[in-house]
Amino acid sequence: MAPPEVFSLSQQTPVTCHAFNADRTQVAVSLNSNEVLIYAREGNDWRVIDTLTEHDKPVTSIDWAPRSNRIVTSAQDRNAYVWQQSPDPQTGHMVWKPTLVLLRINRAATYVRWSPNEDKFAVASGARAIAICSFDPEGDWWVSRLLKKPIRSTVLSVDWHPNNVLLAAGSADMKARVFSAYIKDVDKKPAPSVWGEKLPFNTICGEYASPSGGWVHGVAFSPSGDVLAFASHDSSVTIVYPGGPAVYTIKMSILPLVTLTWTTEESVIAAGHDCQPLVFSGNQGGWELVGSLDDPQSNKSSGGARSGFAGASPVGRLNSAAFNTFRNAAERGISNVPGSPTASSSTESELFTVHQNTITSVRPYDGVPGNITRVSTSGVDGKLVVWDVSAVTPIGATGLAGKLGKMQLR
Amino acid sequence: MDVNFRKIDIDQYDEDALLDSELYEADPRDPAQALNEVKQKAAAVRSSLSKGDVVGALTLVLEDAPYGPNVEEAKNLNLQTLVSILNSTKATEIPGVVKALSTDAQDTLMKYLYKGMALPGWGDVSGSVLLGWHEKLTEIAGTGCIVRAMTDRRIV
Repeated sequence: MAPPEVFSLSQQTPVTCHAFNADRTQVAVSLNSNEVLIYAREGNDWRVIDTLTEHDKPVTSIDWAPRSNRIVTSAQDRNAYVWQQSPDPQTGHMVWKPTLVLLRINRAATYVRWSPNEDKFAVASGARAIAICSFDPEGDWWVSRLLKKPIRSTVLSVDWHPNNVLLAAGSADMKARVFSAYIKDVDKKPAPSVWGEKLPFNTICGEYASPSGGWVHGVAFSPSGDVLAFASHDSSVTIVYPGGPAVYTIKMSILPLVTLTWTTEESVIAAGHDCQPLVFSGNQGGWELVGSLDDPQSNKSSGGARSGFAGASPVGRLNSAAFNTFRNAAERGISNVPGSPTASSSTESELFTVHQNTITSVRPYDGVPGNITRVSTSGVDGKLVVWDVSAVTPIGATGLAGKLGKMQLR
Repeated sequence: MDVNFRKIDIDQYDEDALLDSELYEADPRDPAQALNEVKQKAAAVRSSLSKGDVVGALTLVLEDAPYGPNVEEAKNLNLQTLVSILNSTKATEIPGVVKALSTDAQDTLMKYLYKGMALPGWGDVSGSVLLGWHEKLTEIAGTGCIVRAMTDRRIV
Protein backbone atom coordinates (compact mmCIF):
# COMPACT_ATOMS: atom_id res chain seq x y z
CA MET A 1 0.00 0.00 0.00
CA ALA A 2 2.48 2.57 -1.16
CA PRO A 3 1.26 6.16 -0.95
CA PRO A 4 0.73 7.90 -4.29
CA GLU A 5 3.67 9.73 -5.84
CA VAL A 6 2.57 13.32 -6.41
CA PHE A 7 4.37 15.66 -8.79
CA SER A 8 3.31 19.24 -9.31
CA LEU A 9 4.23 19.99 -12.91
CA SER A 10 2.53 23.34 -13.01
CA GLN A 11 1.02 25.71 -10.47
CA GLN A 12 -1.19 27.80 -12.71
CA THR A 13 -2.14 25.74 -15.73
CA PRO A 14 -3.92 22.43 -16.20
CA VAL A 15 -2.24 19.32 -17.51
CA THR A 16 -4.44 18.57 -20.52
CA CYS A 17 -2.96 15.15 -21.18
CA HIS A 18 0.13 13.10 -20.46
CA ALA A 19 2.00 10.18 -21.98
CA PHE A 20 5.01 8.35 -20.52
CA ASN A 21 7.77 6.75 -22.54
CA ALA A 22 8.37 3.00 -22.35
CA ASP A 23 10.66 2.95 -19.30
CA ARG A 24 8.78 5.80 -17.53
CA THR A 25 11.88 8.00 -17.34
CA GLN A 26 10.27 10.71 -19.46
CA VAL A 27 6.78 12.11 -19.78
CA ALA A 28 5.24 14.25 -22.50
CA VAL A 29 2.56 16.65 -21.32
CA SER A 30 0.55 19.52 -22.64
CA LEU A 31 -0.02 22.36 -20.19
CA ASN A 32 -3.11 23.58 -22.04
CA SER A 33 -0.98 25.36 -24.64
CA ASN A 34 0.21 24.75 -28.19
CA GLU A 35 3.47 23.26 -26.91
CA VAL A 36 4.30 19.71 -25.88
CA LEU A 37 6.76 19.58 -23.01
CA ILE A 38 8.96 16.55 -22.40
CA TYR A 39 10.08 16.12 -18.80
CA ALA A 40 12.85 13.80 -17.66
CA ARG A 41 12.81 12.31 -14.19
CA GLU A 42 15.57 13.37 -11.81
CA GLY A 43 15.11 11.61 -8.52
CA ASN A 44 11.80 12.85 -7.24
CA ASP A 45 11.56 15.74 -9.63
CA TRP A 46 10.79 16.31 -13.26
CA ARG A 47 12.81 18.70 -15.44
CA VAL A 48 11.84 19.97 -18.89
CA ILE A 49 14.35 18.64 -21.42
CA ASP A 50 12.54 19.28 -24.68
CA THR A 51 9.74 21.40 -26.08
CA LEU A 52 7.90 20.30 -29.19
CA THR A 53 6.54 23.35 -30.99
CA GLU A 54 4.75 22.82 -34.23
CA HIS A 55 1.07 23.09 -33.33
CA ASP A 56 -0.40 26.57 -33.31
CA LYS A 57 -3.49 25.84 -31.21
CA PRO A 58 -3.79 24.05 -27.86
CA VAL A 59 -2.64 20.44 -27.90
CA THR A 60 -5.50 18.10 -27.00
CA SER A 61 -3.89 14.68 -26.75
CA ILE A 62 -0.52 12.92 -26.77
CA ASP A 63 0.45 9.26 -27.13
CA TRP A 64 3.93 7.78 -26.90
CA ALA A 65 4.47 4.44 -28.65
CA PRO A 66 6.52 2.30 -26.27
CA ARG A 67 8.38 0.09 -28.77
CA SER A 68 8.93 2.37 -31.77
CA ASN A 69 9.52 5.39 -29.46
CA ARG A 70 7.40 7.72 -31.58
CA ILE A 71 5.15 10.44 -30.19
CA VAL A 72 1.90 11.41 -31.86
CA THR A 73 0.15 14.65 -30.90
CA SER A 74 -3.20 16.14 -31.87
CA ALA A 75 -4.41 19.69 -31.43
CA GLN A 76 -7.23 22.13 -31.95
CA ASP A 77 -5.45 23.35 -35.09
CA ARG A 78 -6.94 20.26 -36.85
CA ASN A 79 -3.52 18.70 -37.25
CA ALA A 80 -1.64 15.73 -35.91
CA TYR A 81 2.13 15.28 -35.93
CA VAL A 82 4.24 12.17 -35.56
CA TRP A 83 7.51 12.95 -33.77
CA GLN A 84 10.61 10.83 -34.22
CA GLN A 85 14.05 11.22 -32.68
CA SER A 86 16.95 11.66 -35.07
CA PRO A 87 20.49 13.05 -34.61
CA ASP A 88 20.95 16.72 -35.34
CA PRO A 89 23.44 17.09 -38.26
CA GLN A 90 25.40 19.86 -36.50
CA THR A 91 25.53 18.86 -32.86
CA GLY A 92 24.85 15.15 -33.03
CA HIS A 93 22.26 15.44 -30.23
CA MET A 94 19.03 13.55 -30.63
CA VAL A 95 16.20 15.90 -31.53
CA TRP A 96 12.48 15.31 -32.09
CA LYS A 97 11.50 15.81 -35.74
CA PRO A 98 7.81 16.30 -36.63
CA THR A 99 6.00 14.80 -39.59
CA LEU A 100 2.67 16.35 -40.50
CA VAL A 101 -0.23 13.94 -40.93
CA LEU A 102 -2.87 14.67 -43.56
CA LEU A 103 -5.97 14.23 -41.47
CA ARG A 104 -8.54 15.79 -43.84
CA ILE A 105 -10.74 17.02 -41.00
CA ASN A 106 -12.21 20.50 -40.70
CA ARG A 107 -12.60 20.70 -36.94
CA ALA A 108 -10.31 20.28 -33.95
CA ALA A 109 -8.56 16.97 -33.39
CA THR A 110 -9.58 15.90 -29.89
CA TYR A 111 -7.84 12.64 -29.05
CA VAL A 112 -5.14 10.39 -30.44
CA ARG A 113 -3.94 6.86 -29.69
CA TRP A 114 -1.42 4.48 -31.29
CA SER A 115 -2.71 1.04 -32.18
CA PRO A 116 -1.18 -1.86 -30.20
CA ASN A 117 1.16 -2.77 -33.08
CA GLU A 118 2.16 0.89 -33.44
CA ASP A 119 1.63 0.78 -37.21
CA LYS A 120 -1.58 2.85 -37.14
CA PHE A 121 -3.11 5.55 -34.99
CA ALA A 122 -6.60 6.92 -34.59
CA VAL A 123 -7.37 10.64 -34.34
CA ALA A 124 -10.77 11.61 -32.98
CA SER A 125 -12.16 14.95 -34.05
CA GLY A 126 -14.95 17.49 -33.85
CA ALA A 127 -15.67 16.87 -37.52
CA ARG A 128 -17.88 13.89 -36.64
CA ALA A 129 -15.14 11.60 -37.83
CA ILE A 130 -12.21 9.51 -36.69
CA ALA A 131 -9.11 9.54 -38.88
CA ILE A 132 -7.36 6.17 -39.03
CA CYS A 133 -3.79 6.90 -40.08
CA SER A 134 -1.27 4.47 -41.49
CA PHE A 135 2.17 5.00 -43.03
CA ASP A 136 2.48 4.99 -46.79
CA PRO A 137 6.13 4.13 -47.57
CA GLU A 138 5.82 5.12 -51.24
CA GLY A 139 4.65 8.62 -50.50
CA ASP A 140 6.74 8.68 -47.30
CA TRP A 141 3.88 10.13 -45.29
CA TRP A 142 1.01 9.22 -43.01
CA VAL A 143 -2.29 8.89 -44.85
CA SER A 144 -5.69 8.83 -43.22
CA ARG A 145 -8.98 7.13 -43.87
CA LEU A 146 -12.05 8.51 -42.15
CA LEU A 147 -14.57 6.62 -40.05
CA LYS A 148 -17.67 8.77 -40.45
CA LYS A 149 -20.91 6.84 -40.27
CA PRO A 150 -22.91 6.94 -38.09
CA ILE A 151 -21.11 9.47 -35.87
CA ARG A 152 -23.36 12.47 -35.23
CA SER A 153 -21.18 14.69 -33.10
CA THR A 154 -17.68 15.31 -31.77
CA VAL A 155 -15.71 12.19 -30.92
CA LEU A 156 -14.20 12.65 -27.46
CA SER A 157 -12.08 9.54 -26.98
CA VAL A 158 -10.97 6.32 -28.67
CA ASP A 159 -9.40 3.06 -27.54
CA TRP A 160 -7.86 0.23 -29.58
CA HIS A 161 -8.79 -3.41 -29.28
CA PRO A 162 -5.73 -5.64 -28.70
CA ASN A 163 -6.24 -7.18 -32.18
CA ASN A 164 -5.08 -3.88 -33.77
CA VAL A 165 -8.26 -3.72 -35.89
CA LEU A 166 -11.23 -2.78 -33.74
CA LEU A 167 -11.62 0.70 -32.30
CA ALA A 168 -13.97 1.95 -29.60
CA ALA A 169 -15.09 5.57 -29.70
CA GLY A 170 -17.03 7.73 -27.26
CA SER A 171 -18.89 10.66 -28.69
CA ALA A 172 -20.88 13.77 -27.75
CA ASP A 173 -23.91 12.28 -29.50
CA MET A 174 -24.22 10.23 -26.30
CA LYS A 175 -23.12 6.95 -27.79
CA ALA A 176 -20.17 4.65 -27.47
CA ARG A 177 -19.44 2.66 -30.61
CA VAL A 178 -17.14 -0.10 -31.73
CA PHE A 179 -15.82 0.20 -35.29
CA SER A 180 -13.60 -1.82 -37.53
CA ALA A 181 -10.52 0.19 -38.51
CA TYR A 182 -9.17 -2.52 -40.78
CA ILE A 183 -6.58 -1.26 -43.27
CA LYS A 184 -5.82 -3.74 -46.02
CA ASP A 185 -2.14 -2.88 -46.47
CA VAL A 186 -1.37 -2.94 -42.77
CA ASP A 187 -3.53 -5.54 -41.08
CA LYS A 188 -3.78 -9.25 -41.37
CA LYS A 189 -7.30 -10.58 -41.38
CA PRO A 190 -8.42 -10.50 -37.73
CA ALA A 191 -9.63 -13.64 -36.02
CA PRO A 192 -13.37 -13.71 -35.30
CA SER A 193 -14.21 -12.29 -31.88
CA VAL A 194 -17.26 -11.44 -29.82
CA TRP A 195 -17.48 -8.25 -31.89
CA GLY A 196 -17.97 -10.05 -35.21
CA GLU A 197 -16.38 -12.13 -37.93
CA LYS A 198 -16.25 -10.14 -41.14
CA LEU A 199 -14.74 -6.76 -40.41
CA PRO A 200 -14.22 -4.51 -43.46
CA PHE A 201 -13.36 -0.85 -42.72
CA ASN A 202 -16.13 1.11 -40.97
CA THR A 203 -18.13 -1.96 -39.91
CA ILE A 204 -20.15 -1.00 -36.84
CA CYS A 205 -19.73 -3.82 -34.35
CA GLY A 206 -21.66 -2.22 -31.53
CA GLU A 207 -23.50 0.94 -30.55
CA TYR A 208 -24.41 1.70 -26.93
CA ALA A 209 -26.22 4.78 -25.63
CA SER A 210 -25.35 6.39 -22.33
CA PRO A 211 -28.14 5.69 -19.84
CA SER A 212 -29.32 9.25 -19.18
CA GLY A 213 -28.12 11.13 -22.21
CA GLY A 214 -24.61 12.19 -21.21
CA TRP A 215 -21.69 12.72 -23.54
CA VAL A 216 -19.49 9.65 -23.59
CA HIS A 217 -16.18 11.00 -22.29
CA GLY A 218 -14.05 7.91 -21.99
CA VAL A 219 -14.00 4.42 -23.53
CA ALA A 220 -11.77 1.42 -22.91
CA PHE A 221 -11.55 -2.19 -24.01
CA SER A 222 -10.78 -4.79 -21.37
CA PRO A 223 -7.35 -6.48 -21.66
CA SER A 224 -8.88 -9.37 -23.62
CA GLY A 225 -10.85 -6.95 -25.79
CA ASP A 226 -14.07 -8.83 -25.11
CA VAL A 227 -15.59 -6.24 -22.79
CA LEU A 228 -16.12 -2.51 -23.25
CA ALA A 229 -16.36 0.10 -20.51
CA PHE A 230 -17.39 3.72 -20.94
CA ALA A 231 -17.91 6.72 -18.69
CA SER A 232 -20.46 9.37 -19.56
CA HIS A 233 -21.50 12.80 -18.38
CA ASP A 234 -24.64 11.52 -16.67
CA SER A 235 -22.40 10.35 -13.80
CA SER A 236 -22.50 6.77 -14.91
CA VAL A 237 -20.16 3.99 -15.91
CA THR A 238 -21.37 1.31 -18.31
CA ILE A 239 -19.79 -2.10 -18.86
CA VAL A 240 -20.80 -3.97 -22.02
CA TYR A 241 -20.46 -7.72 -22.58
CA PRO A 242 -21.36 -8.03 -26.27
CA GLY A 243 -21.28 -11.82 -26.22
CA GLY A 244 -23.53 -12.04 -23.14
CA PRO A 245 -25.26 -9.93 -24.14
CA ALA A 246 -25.25 -7.99 -20.92
CA VAL A 247 -24.93 -4.29 -20.20
CA TYR A 248 -24.24 -3.13 -16.64
CA THR A 249 -24.74 0.48 -15.71
CA ILE A 250 -23.54 2.02 -12.46
CA LYS A 251 -25.24 5.32 -11.74
CA MET A 252 -23.19 7.27 -9.26
CA SER A 253 -24.08 9.86 -6.65
CA ILE A 254 -21.07 11.99 -7.52
CA LEU A 255 -19.92 14.22 -10.36
CA PRO A 256 -19.24 12.61 -13.75
CA LEU A 257 -16.13 10.64 -14.64
CA VAL A 258 -14.27 11.49 -17.82
CA THR A 259 -11.51 8.92 -18.21
CA LEU A 260 -11.04 5.26 -17.43
CA THR A 261 -8.65 2.35 -17.86
CA TRP A 262 -8.76 -1.38 -17.14
CA THR A 263 -6.26 -2.80 -14.66
CA THR A 264 -7.34 -6.45 -14.88
CA GLU A 265 -10.07 -8.26 -16.80
CA GLU A 266 -12.32 -7.64 -13.80
CA SER A 267 -11.47 -4.15 -12.62
CA VAL A 268 -11.58 -0.63 -14.01
CA ILE A 269 -10.14 2.60 -12.64
CA ALA A 270 -12.03 5.75 -13.58
CA ALA A 271 -11.59 9.40 -12.67
CA GLY A 272 -13.01 12.78 -13.50
CA HIS A 273 -14.76 15.76 -11.97
CA ASP A 274 -14.78 14.26 -8.50
CA CYS A 275 -10.98 14.57 -8.33
CA GLN A 276 -10.24 11.02 -7.19
CA PRO A 277 -9.59 7.76 -9.05
CA LEU A 278 -12.39 5.29 -8.33
CA VAL A 279 -12.11 1.52 -8.56
CA PHE A 280 -14.90 -0.55 -10.11
CA SER A 281 -14.86 -4.30 -10.16
CA GLY A 282 -17.07 -7.07 -11.39
CA ASN A 283 -17.52 -9.76 -13.98
CA GLN A 284 -20.19 -11.14 -16.26
CA GLY A 285 -22.49 -11.42 -13.27
CA GLY A 286 -22.46 -7.75 -12.30
CA TRP A 287 -20.38 -4.70 -11.51
CA GLU A 288 -20.02 -2.33 -8.57
CA LEU A 289 -18.04 0.60 -7.26
CA VAL A 290 -15.64 -0.82 -4.67
CA GLY A 291 -13.51 2.09 -3.58
CA SER A 292 -11.14 4.93 -4.27
CA LEU A 293 -7.37 5.03 -4.66
CA ASP A 294 -7.52 8.31 -2.79
CA ASP A 295 -8.44 8.55 0.87
CA PRO A 296 -9.96 11.96 1.50
CA GLN A 297 -10.94 11.08 5.08
CA SER A 298 -7.40 10.23 6.20
CA ASN A 299 -5.98 13.17 4.29
CA LYS A 300 -8.35 15.35 6.22
CA SER A 301 -7.51 13.93 9.62
CA SER A 302 -3.79 14.21 8.99
CA GLY A 303 -4.56 17.83 9.73
CA GLY A 304 -2.00 20.63 9.65
CA ALA A 305 -0.55 20.46 6.19
CA ARG A 306 -3.94 20.12 4.60
CA SER A 307 -5.65 22.90 6.42
CA GLY A 308 -8.37 24.22 4.18
CA PHE A 309 -11.75 24.06 5.79
CA ALA A 310 -10.90 21.23 8.12
CA GLY A 311 -13.33 22.56 10.70
CA ALA A 312 -16.22 22.77 8.31
CA SER A 313 -18.25 19.85 7.08
CA PRO A 314 -16.36 17.34 4.92
CA VAL A 315 -17.90 18.34 1.68
CA GLY A 316 -15.54 17.08 -0.98
CA ARG A 317 -15.86 18.84 -4.26
CA LEU A 318 -18.16 21.65 -3.29
CA ASN A 319 -15.78 23.01 -0.68
CA SER A 320 -14.19 25.34 -3.17
CA ALA A 321 -13.31 28.98 -3.08
CA ALA A 322 -15.96 29.80 -5.65
CA PHE A 323 -18.64 27.93 -3.72
CA ASN A 324 -17.74 29.62 -0.46
CA THR A 325 -17.66 33.02 -2.09
CA PHE A 326 -21.14 32.41 -3.41
CA ARG A 327 -22.37 31.07 -0.09
CA ASN A 328 -20.98 34.02 1.80
CA ALA A 329 -22.64 36.36 -0.63
CA ALA A 330 -25.96 34.54 -0.39
CA GLU A 331 -26.07 33.96 3.36
CA ARG A 332 -24.14 36.78 4.90
CA GLY A 333 -24.19 39.43 2.23
CA ILE A 334 -20.41 39.39 2.07
CA SER A 335 -19.21 40.05 -1.40
CA ASN A 336 -15.58 39.46 -2.12
CA VAL A 337 -14.40 41.64 -4.93
CA PRO A 338 -11.88 39.59 -6.87
CA GLY A 339 -8.43 40.82 -6.04
CA SER A 340 -9.40 42.44 -2.76
CA PRO A 341 -7.07 41.51 0.10
CA THR A 342 -9.62 39.52 2.06
CA ALA A 343 -10.79 37.47 -0.89
CA SER A 344 -7.84 35.15 -1.09
CA SER A 345 -7.13 34.76 2.60
CA SER A 346 -10.65 34.06 3.78
CA THR A 347 -12.04 31.89 1.02
CA GLU A 348 -9.13 29.92 -0.30
CA SER A 349 -9.69 26.27 0.28
CA GLU A 350 -8.12 22.94 -0.35
CA LEU A 351 -9.86 19.72 -1.23
CA PHE A 352 -9.13 16.65 0.85
CA THR A 353 -8.31 14.67 -2.26
CA VAL A 354 -4.80 14.52 -3.72
CA HIS A 355 -5.92 16.11 -6.96
CA GLN A 356 -7.31 19.56 -6.35
CA ASN A 357 -9.34 19.68 -9.54
CA THR A 358 -10.78 17.51 -12.31
CA ILE A 359 -8.65 14.56 -13.38
CA THR A 360 -8.30 14.71 -17.16
CA SER A 361 -6.54 11.44 -17.88
CA VAL A 362 -5.83 8.10 -16.22
CA ARG A 363 -3.40 5.70 -17.90
CA PRO A 364 -1.59 2.45 -17.08
CA TYR A 365 1.85 3.14 -15.58
CA ASP A 366 3.29 -0.17 -14.39
CA GLY A 367 2.55 -3.83 -15.15
CA VAL A 368 1.37 -5.71 -18.20
CA PRO A 369 -2.07 -5.51 -19.83
CA GLY A 370 -4.36 -7.63 -17.68
CA ASN A 371 -2.29 -7.01 -14.56
CA ILE A 372 -1.63 -3.30 -14.18
CA THR A 373 -0.08 -2.52 -10.80
CA ARG A 374 0.17 1.25 -10.97
CA VAL A 375 -1.69 3.95 -12.89
CA SER A 376 -0.89 7.60 -13.55
CA THR A 377 -3.34 10.51 -13.52
CA SER A 378 -3.04 14.12 -14.58
CA GLY A 379 -5.43 16.90 -13.75
CA VAL A 380 -6.57 20.47 -14.16
CA ASP A 381 -4.66 21.27 -10.95
CA GLY A 382 -1.36 20.78 -12.82
CA LYS A 383 -0.52 17.61 -10.90
CA LEU A 384 0.76 14.29 -12.17
CA VAL A 385 0.16 11.44 -9.73
CA VAL A 386 1.21 7.79 -9.79
CA TRP A 387 -1.08 5.46 -7.78
CA ASP A 388 -0.66 1.93 -6.52
CA VAL A 389 -3.82 0.15 -7.68
CA SER A 390 -3.80 -2.23 -4.72
CA ALA A 391 -4.18 0.67 -2.26
CA VAL A 392 -7.96 0.81 -2.42
CA THR A 393 -9.90 2.64 0.25
CA PRO A 394 -13.22 0.82 0.40
CA ILE A 395 -16.43 2.70 0.00
CA GLY A 396 -19.46 1.28 1.74
CA ALA A 397 -22.83 1.12 0.11
CA THR A 398 -23.62 4.57 1.42
CA GLY A 399 -20.09 5.91 1.59
CA LEU A 400 -19.94 8.30 -1.30
CA ALA A 401 -23.49 9.46 -0.99
CA GLY A 402 -23.04 9.87 2.73
CA LYS A 403 -19.99 12.00 2.30
CA LEU A 404 -21.68 14.24 -0.19
CA GLY A 405 -24.85 14.15 1.81
CA LYS A 406 -23.35 16.42 4.42
CA MET A 407 -23.10 19.18 1.88
CA GLN A 408 -24.54 22.47 2.88
CA LEU A 409 -26.95 23.18 0.09
CA ARG A 410 -28.66 26.18 1.54
CA MET B 1 -28.32 46.28 -33.25
CA ASP B 2 -30.35 43.14 -33.42
CA VAL B 3 -29.54 41.25 -30.24
CA ASN B 4 -31.58 38.22 -31.13
CA PHE B 5 -28.99 36.74 -33.45
CA ARG B 6 -28.48 33.89 -31.03
CA LYS B 7 -32.04 32.78 -31.67
CA ILE B 8 -31.47 32.35 -35.40
CA ASP B 9 -31.78 28.69 -36.29
CA ILE B 10 -28.43 28.20 -37.99
CA ASP B 11 -29.06 24.48 -38.29
CA GLN B 12 -31.56 25.14 -41.09
CA TYR B 13 -28.60 25.77 -43.40
CA ASP B 14 -26.87 22.54 -42.36
CA GLU B 15 -28.03 19.51 -44.29
CA ASP B 16 -26.41 17.25 -41.75
CA ALA B 17 -27.81 18.96 -38.64
CA LEU B 18 -28.11 16.88 -35.51
CA LEU B 19 -31.75 16.85 -34.47
CA ASP B 20 -33.03 16.43 -30.93
CA SER B 21 -35.00 13.40 -32.04
CA GLU B 22 -31.77 11.59 -32.90
CA LEU B 23 -30.44 11.96 -29.39
CA TYR B 24 -33.01 9.92 -27.53
CA GLU B 25 -35.73 7.42 -28.17
CA ALA B 26 -39.08 9.14 -28.39
CA ASP B 27 -41.88 8.29 -25.99
CA PRO B 28 -43.64 5.41 -27.75
CA ARG B 29 -47.09 6.50 -26.59
CA ASP B 30 -49.24 8.92 -28.58
CA PRO B 31 -50.49 12.03 -26.76
CA ALA B 32 -54.01 10.73 -26.12
CA GLN B 33 -52.75 7.44 -24.74
CA ALA B 34 -50.19 9.18 -22.51
CA LEU B 35 -52.83 11.53 -21.14
CA ASN B 36 -55.15 8.63 -20.48
CA GLU B 37 -52.49 6.74 -18.54
CA VAL B 38 -51.63 9.81 -16.49
CA LYS B 39 -55.30 10.33 -15.61
CA GLN B 40 -55.58 6.74 -14.44
CA LYS B 41 -52.44 7.16 -12.40
CA ALA B 42 -53.80 10.31 -10.78
CA ALA B 43 -56.78 8.31 -9.56
CA ALA B 44 -54.58 5.48 -8.30
CA VAL B 45 -52.36 8.02 -6.51
CA ARG B 46 -55.35 9.47 -4.67
CA SER B 47 -56.28 6.06 -3.37
CA SER B 48 -52.66 5.33 -2.36
CA LEU B 49 -52.43 8.65 -0.55
CA SER B 50 -55.65 8.00 1.32
CA LYS B 51 -53.98 4.84 2.63
CA GLY B 52 -50.90 6.85 3.55
CA ASP B 53 -48.69 5.01 1.05
CA VAL B 54 -46.48 7.89 -0.13
CA VAL B 55 -43.76 5.68 -1.60
CA GLY B 56 -46.29 3.72 -3.64
CA ALA B 57 -47.91 6.92 -4.88
CA LEU B 58 -44.59 8.46 -5.88
CA THR B 59 -43.43 5.30 -7.62
CA LEU B 60 -46.67 5.28 -9.63
CA VAL B 61 -46.14 8.85 -10.81
CA LEU B 62 -42.45 8.48 -11.54
CA GLU B 63 -42.63 5.18 -13.40
CA ASP B 64 -43.08 5.55 -17.16
CA ALA B 65 -43.50 9.29 -16.79
CA PRO B 66 -44.44 10.87 -20.12
CA TYR B 67 -41.60 12.78 -21.81
CA GLY B 68 -40.81 14.54 -25.05
CA PRO B 69 -42.28 17.38 -27.04
CA ASN B 70 -45.75 16.08 -27.98
CA VAL B 71 -47.28 15.20 -24.65
CA GLU B 72 -47.39 18.58 -22.88
CA GLU B 73 -50.87 18.00 -21.46
CA ALA B 74 -49.94 14.64 -19.94
CA LYS B 75 -46.65 16.05 -18.60
CA ASN B 76 -48.40 18.93 -16.84
CA LEU B 77 -51.07 16.73 -15.32
CA ASN B 78 -48.42 14.31 -14.05
CA LEU B 79 -46.52 17.21 -12.48
CA GLN B 80 -49.68 18.35 -10.70
CA THR B 81 -50.28 14.86 -9.39
CA LEU B 82 -46.68 14.69 -8.19
CA VAL B 83 -46.84 18.06 -6.46
CA SER B 84 -50.02 17.02 -4.67
CA ILE B 85 -48.03 14.10 -3.21
CA LEU B 86 -45.08 16.32 -2.30
CA ASN B 87 -47.35 18.84 -0.59
CA SER B 88 -49.12 16.22 1.48
CA THR B 89 -45.92 14.63 2.83
CA LYS B 90 -44.58 15.71 6.21
CA ALA B 91 -41.04 17.10 6.11
CA THR B 92 -39.81 14.48 8.58
CA GLU B 93 -41.01 11.66 6.34
CA ILE B 94 -39.19 12.86 3.23
CA PRO B 95 -35.78 11.15 3.78
CA GLY B 96 -37.39 7.75 4.33
CA VAL B 97 -39.58 8.13 1.26
CA VAL B 98 -36.68 9.21 -0.95
CA LYS B 99 -34.51 6.32 0.24
CA ALA B 100 -37.24 3.84 -0.66
CA LEU B 101 -37.33 5.01 -4.29
CA SER B 102 -35.31 3.30 -7.04
CA THR B 103 -32.38 5.17 -8.60
CA ASP B 104 -34.38 5.75 -11.77
CA ALA B 105 -37.32 7.11 -9.78
CA GLN B 106 -34.97 9.42 -7.86
CA ASP B 107 -33.62 10.78 -11.15
CA THR B 108 -37.12 11.38 -12.47
CA LEU B 109 -38.16 13.05 -9.21
CA MET B 110 -35.19 15.42 -9.55
CA LYS B 111 -36.33 16.30 -13.07
CA TYR B 112 -39.81 17.16 -11.80
CA LEU B 113 -38.43 19.25 -8.94
CA TYR B 114 -36.45 21.36 -11.41
CA LYS B 115 -39.44 21.57 -13.74
CA GLY B 116 -41.58 22.79 -10.88
CA MET B 117 -39.03 25.37 -9.84
CA ALA B 118 -38.76 26.59 -13.43
CA LEU B 119 -42.46 27.26 -13.91
CA PRO B 120 -43.39 30.93 -13.56
CA GLY B 121 -45.33 31.67 -10.39
CA TRP B 122 -44.74 28.28 -8.82
CA GLY B 123 -42.04 29.63 -6.54
CA ASP B 124 -44.68 31.39 -4.45
CA VAL B 125 -47.02 28.44 -4.23
CA SER B 126 -44.80 25.48 -3.56
CA GLY B 127 -41.26 26.84 -3.72
CA SER B 128 -40.35 25.90 -0.15
CA VAL B 129 -41.81 22.42 -0.56
CA LEU B 130 -39.82 21.81 -3.74
CA LEU B 131 -36.63 23.12 -2.13
CA GLY B 132 -37.17 20.92 0.90
CA TRP B 133 -37.49 17.83 -1.27
CA HIS B 134 -34.53 18.94 -3.36
CA GLU B 135 -32.34 19.21 -0.27
CA LYS B 136 -33.25 15.74 1.00
CA LEU B 137 -33.03 14.15 -2.44
CA THR B 138 -29.56 15.60 -2.99
CA GLU B 139 -28.40 14.35 0.40
CA ILE B 140 -29.41 10.82 -0.54
CA ALA B 141 -28.91 10.60 -4.31
CA GLY B 142 -25.97 13.01 -4.52
CA THR B 143 -24.85 15.49 -7.15
CA GLY B 144 -24.88 12.69 -9.72
CA CYS B 145 -28.67 12.79 -9.60
CA ILE B 146 -28.65 16.52 -10.40
CA VAL B 147 -26.20 15.92 -13.25
CA ARG B 148 -28.52 13.30 -14.73
CA ALA B 149 -31.51 15.65 -14.46
CA MET B 150 -29.50 18.16 -16.48
CA THR B 151 -28.11 15.82 -19.15
CA ASP B 152 -31.19 13.76 -19.87
CA ARG B 153 -32.97 14.90 -23.04
CA ARG B 154 -36.08 12.94 -22.13
CA ILE B 155 -37.62 16.04 -20.61
CA VAL B 156 -40.58 15.41 -18.35
